[in-house]
Amino acid sequence: MAADGDLGIEARGVTRRFGPVEALRGLDISVPYGQVTALVGANGAGKTTLLLILATLLAPDSGTVRIAGHDTLTRPAQARDALGWMPDTFGVYDQLTVDEYLVFFADAYGLPKQERAGRVRALLSLVHLEDHLGRPVHALSRGQKQRLGMARALVHRPRVLLLDEPASGLDPRSRIELRDLLRSLAADGVAVLVSSHILSELEEIADRVVLVDRGRTAGDHAMAELAGASARVAWRIRSLEPERLATALAGLLDGRPSMRATALPGGTEVGPLTEAEAAGLLAELVRADVPVTGLAPAGSALESAYLAMTETRR
Amino acid sequence: MTARGIGLVARQEIRTRLRTGRWKVLLAAWFLGVNGLGLLFRLALEAGENSPRDEPGVPMFGGVLLGVLVLMLLVTPALSGQSVNGDRERGTLATLQVTRLTPAEITLGKLAAAWGTSLVALLLTLPSLLLPVAEGAIGPGRALVVLVVTALLVGVVCAVSQAWSALLARSVTSILMSYVTMFALLVGTPLLFMLAIPITAEEHGPEEGGDVVYTEEHTERIWWLLSPNPVVVLADAAPRLPETEIVIGDRVMRRSPSSDPLGELSRSVRDIREGDGTYENGRNDGPAVWPWGLAFDLALAAGATALTAARLRTPLRQVPRGVRVA
Repeated sequence: MAADGDLGIEARGVTRRFGPVEALRGLDISVPYGQVTALVGANGAGKTTLLLILATLLAPDSGTVRIAGHDTLTRPAQARDALGWMPDTFGVYDQLTVDEYLVFFADAYGLPKQERAGRVRALLSLVHLEDHLGRPVHALSRGQKQRLGMARALVHRPRVLLLDEPASGLDPRSRIELRDLLRSLAADGVAVLVSSHILSELEEIADRVVLVDRGRTAGDHAMAELAGASARVAWRIRSLEPERLATALAGLLDGRPSMRATALPGGTEVGPLTEAEAAGLLAELVRADVPVTGLAPAGSALESAYLAMTETRR
Repeated sequence: MTARGIGLVARQEIRTRLRTGRWKVLLAAWFLGVNGLGLLFRLALEAGENSPRDEPGVPMFGGVLLGVLVLMLLVTPALSGQSVNGDRERGTLATLQVTRLTPAEITLGKLAAAWGTSLVALLLTLPSLLLPVAEGAIGPGRALVVLVVTALLVGVVCAVSQAWSALLARSVTSILMSYVTMFALLVGTPLLFMLAIPITAEEHGPEEGGDVVYTEEHTERIWWLLSPNPVVVLADAAPRLPETEIVIGDRVMRRSPSSDPLGELSRSVRDIREGDGTYENGRNDGPAVWPWGLAFDLALAAGATALTAARLRTPLRQVPRGVRVA
């Protein structure tokens, strides 16, 4: 394997500007083999630019990018061999059938002829499109096209996989299947980098989270560390008497400026709190005779981390 | 760069084009249109007042060929004028660029597909082109040479149109620029030549004792302006028809067959290259013009192809304005 150990992707100090716009200003990211890493950031934070650079399509202005140990600038061909890439929007050749489409890319990646047919069948069953063998691509739904794009990205058995918003347009079942597919690829030792806006979903898929803000790495966390019992998230409290809850909360939160209570239609959101703190708060509310009917975490740890990061920007 | 990669891209390109469906209708319309015009031209020639010596096959061949060339040049930009930016717009280029296919393979594969499609269109014009050959008015050698030259010129247009499609982000603009390039070659070159004639002319006299002033044109200095013109290249490259012998009494005169558009055009451009200002229908032919023109056109095509390949190279350092990387 690569000389630099266990990193499928290693980017250091990557900058890229488009005219006056600095899209990336010294971004670092490393994606280990056998893990799913999530790339999270606001619109315009530089996620797609970073993925284009990692996909060997765009050159960084400065910094180094290695895919499976190969520098993307000096050895793009070797990097491409190791790399599977699925962009956020892509076209398919509408006139081809599903299997012709995949055979073409198997050919373009130089797969030996006798291997192609078997590889295409395996891929189609992997993305649950085996019933569509021989059907034209233009007859596929958006979600099915997305899955076909996934199969295309995997056609040459890449060791590094880049996915830009793969879950967009997928129905709930396809999302769960995508999650399982990414987990099984990671279990096989593939380094997976996924960008997405659907944070609650990343929490189930990803082992690590890299937060990107205004072209820089804003945080690099293990998901276990974010989502464990010590993670602080917002909690939703429902009461029979919302006014009483509001008064009690105002009293309890007085003097704790980091806490906020927001009344929402579905209940009042309080936080961020750890699980222990939430239990303590419930005890105090009950002691104050507030008729509490429900207390549950609202949103995810990842969402809280993301919101905390984007908050500093304002 | 491998032939396998070029072939793969070319096959893919042709397959996706063929399946858009309208092709059969378009090719049928083209076949009927060109051959119908050729036939009408033939009927018009036969109805016209020609001396019995003249075979209608000779002017028919020349006229139809020049018509076919111009029509082909008009059709070709539409075939390859969006081969690169069209793929970009559809979002299928980037997924191709991240495979093992090299920029040269993608470029040459797409060029081969566009050129191949144009050659099919050329093949469909053969019935009216080969009728004079079948009648014996035109030798098969002449027909072969002009077909090869036509095919090469059409390839030049494919390469130039492709380069425009790689340079410009929008396919509407690139097709427009391809037509502008065609127009420059077909109409711009004679226009430049005409404008250059008075500029290069020399004024002589008046000589001592006289008041005669005359201007001497020096077309031998500017003949090359005409040489890239596809019509000039094609006409001049066509092998000459054998001269006919006319026996009047005891004298034998030799003359070139009349109403041969290719030969007439060729003799005029060679006279222009000789440039003694007399334009006489000289017995001796001047040096050929077509090698220069064809070399220029082929160099243009080679440059355009290299440019296309350069524009497809990734990782991209400069992203041109309006271009989406993926």
